[in-house]
Amino acid sequence: MSDPKMKFLVVDDFSTMRRIVRNLLKELGYTNVDEAEDGVVAMQKLNSGGIDFVVTDWNMPNMTGIELLRAIRASAPLAHLPVLMITAEAKKENIIEAAQAGASGYIVKPFTAATLSEKLGKIFEKMGK
Amino acid sequence: MSDFAGMEDLLQDFLIEAGDLLSGVDNKLVDLERTPQDLSLLNEIFRGFHTIKGGAGFLNATELVTLCHLTENLFDKLRTGELVVKAEMLDVILAATADVRRMFSELERDLQPTPAESNLIEQLKLALSGSLGAAKAPVAKPSVAIVVPAESKGNGPDWDAYYAAVTGEVPAVSASVPVAVAEEEEEAHISDDVADHIVKSAVGRRTSDKPGYQGPPGGRRDGERQRDNSIRVDTARLDQVLNLSGEIGLTKNRLNALRSDILNGKNDTDTLHALDLAVSQLDLLVSDLQNAVMKTRMQPIGRLFQKYPRIARDLARSLGKDVEMVLVGEETEIDKTMIEDLSDPIIHLIRNAVDHGIEAQNERLSAGKREKSYVTLEARQEGDHIVIIVSDDGRGMNPERLRARALEKGLISDEEANTMDERQSFNLIFLPGFSTAATVSDVSGRGVGMDVVRTNIQKLNGSIDIRSEQGKGTSFVISLPLTLAILPVLLVCLGEQPFAVPLSMVREILPIEPKEVQELGGRATMVVRGEVLPVVTLAALLGWPQERVPEYGVLMQSAEQSFILAIDSFAGREDAVIKSLDDFRPKGVAGVTTLSNGQIVLILDMKELLSGMGDQRVITRAQLMLEGIAVPAAA
Repeated sequence: MSDPKMKFLVVDDFSTMRRIVRNLLKELGYTNVDEAEDGVVAMQKLNSGGIDFVVTDWNMPNMTGIELLRAIRASAPLAHLPVLMITAEAKKENIIEAAQAGASGYIVKPFTAATLSEKLGKIFEKMGK
Repeated sequence: MSDFAGMEDLLQDFLIEAGDLLSGVDNKLVDLERTPQDLSLLNEIFRGFHTIKGGAGFLNATELVTLCHLTENLFDKLRTGELVVKAEMLDVILAATADVRRMFSELERDLQPTPAESNLIEQLKLALSGSLGAAKAPVAKPSVAIVVPAESKGNGPDWDAYYAAVTGEVPAVSASVPVAVAEEEEEAHISDDVADHIVKSAVGRRTSDKPGYQGPPGGRRDGERQRDNSIRVDTARLDQVLNLSGEIGLTKNRLNALRSDILNGKNDTDTLHALDLAVSQLDLLVSDLQNAVMKTRMQPIGRLFQKYPRIARDLARSLGKDVEMVLVGEETEIDKTMIEDLSDPIIHLIRNAVDHGIEAQNERLSAGKREKSYVTLEARQEGDHIVIIVSDDGRGMNPERLRARALEKGLISDEEANTMDERQSFNLIFLPGFSTAATVSDVSGRGVGMDVVRTNIQKLNGSIDIRSEQGKGTSFVISLPLTLAILPVLLVCLGEQPFAVPLSMVREILPIEPKEVQELGGRATMVVRGEVLPVVTLAALLGWPQERVPEYGVLMQSAEQSFILAIDSFAGREDAVIKSLDDFRPKGVAGVTTLSNGQIVLILDMKELLSGMGDQRVITRAQLMLEGIAVPAAA
């Protein structure tokens, strides 16, 4: 039900991390991946269209992941996009904040391709309903 | 076997990026010492540790994760105002940063970092609990009412269940643990089995990518694997290279067409004009391409400068001095290989400035200077050179004292000492074995150093100069070529054969007048502005027979000595593109280059030539002037 051609946007200020996520996605068969180094750049790319799925880090300069998430949910053409939050924290405040802001999923670093696959699966499942 | 089989690329990326990040953190820590309340600084430092932790997790570097995690938590409390920065705390944080760097160096050697000293961890925990020194007691946490489900698979929270807990939908929670417990067990996410899985999957991915992959190629781990291998290039610059190569391709097509026209006898004015145009265009494009390619190797020097304020701060503190480091021109770009090779010389100059240049506090005060002193590190481009200046506002150098010291050490003779001007006296500190510190400190003043600094700068075809004023301060001025790929050379001739010598060594060119050549101690010498310089013939250096009396002398200056290179004539100067001779490299030849007329010329390595020749290079006046020697018939 998930299209392997769907376009991901990986948002992280640490390029090594973007590469890790990109590699993991590739491992799962998703090769159409774009990158952005913070929320501001991500919004620009999102507004120019073509992105089907957003995977974003939380802690970033300029515009954090949670701010990006809120901006996406507040924008009519983007509001429907699935957004998976990545963070090093499993703190309850963060999780609650993400949930309330409308995150589609939440994944804690470090994670494996299997974990990522499982999270994506759940999100696709919910979207399919 | 490497601890990171299959992850070498990732590890290297991480080290480069995280290394930069850590240097930034170090710098901000120094700033934080001055403005401990600066919220944006606290946030940036927090994010630095946080990001390093995130990356380290994927590398399974558990110890690094632990250390960063504690430090990050500390900054979290600092930025939320729960704790305030205190001097003792900053010391612990700086120690933690240093230990992160140590772990990076272990990672560089493909080793999993060894744990931080338990004392450091203890201190961090104390700081976190607010009981380190006089830090504010932590605010008691309000008890948490929300419960979250226990983890079933050990790989992160069950999002659905959390979501349910928050929104109140389907609270199908059976076993629950208080959040507080989950929080304390945060590190459990980097549990062994998860990490193990990452390593296995990473290895699996790599081996399937590359059939027959047998582990890292031999030798890669030794030496300088981390250096040179990769470089971050702005994509705009790569695009420019691509564009230019495209245009060169088009121009080449145009030239091909014109060639067939001309070969077919079409040589009217229009055709020749078109040819002229196409060649000029190619000329322009190629030099643009050369520049563009060179630019891909250029990096802002700020990356190098970043780590120095911390070094200066630590040193100043240990010496009881109040030194602030000022960075200027961090955006100046310089060849990447040079950045790496400049690191140590600049560290040495900074240490030297803080240790020797800056006076002790009481000395400063009695000299009527302000207590705080500044060490400035500045970079800028001047024409086709990069200039780097390390200056201090300290006591300045005393030429007399330097001469006395060199005399005492037996590095110069009485006569030399008497004839030296100020600049020459300053340059004495570059002599091997020279050290002005009366007692050897563990900081600088080991007597090795300044000579190594100069040798290293000269290896980069650069030069170093000293400006100093007593009571005002000292500046070390390093001048470097923009790139190592192009070497400005002087073409000197022996008979008809040209040779190239690096222009950076050439001070001046003078005619050799027989009456000015004197014999001193059995060797030919010339006096240039009061300085007695030995004359060395290029023929003798190369082991060629000398066929005529040399007409010109080139005053060459190297780290070890100045001398006059006697040659027959000149062929001008050129910007040589050096081609190295990898497999076949005769002694004394640095490489070859092709002149504009297509002739191939050897670029001489003067230092090697001089060291290789031993006493053969000593020639008498009679030998130089071919007096009493039958002149061989010129070929």
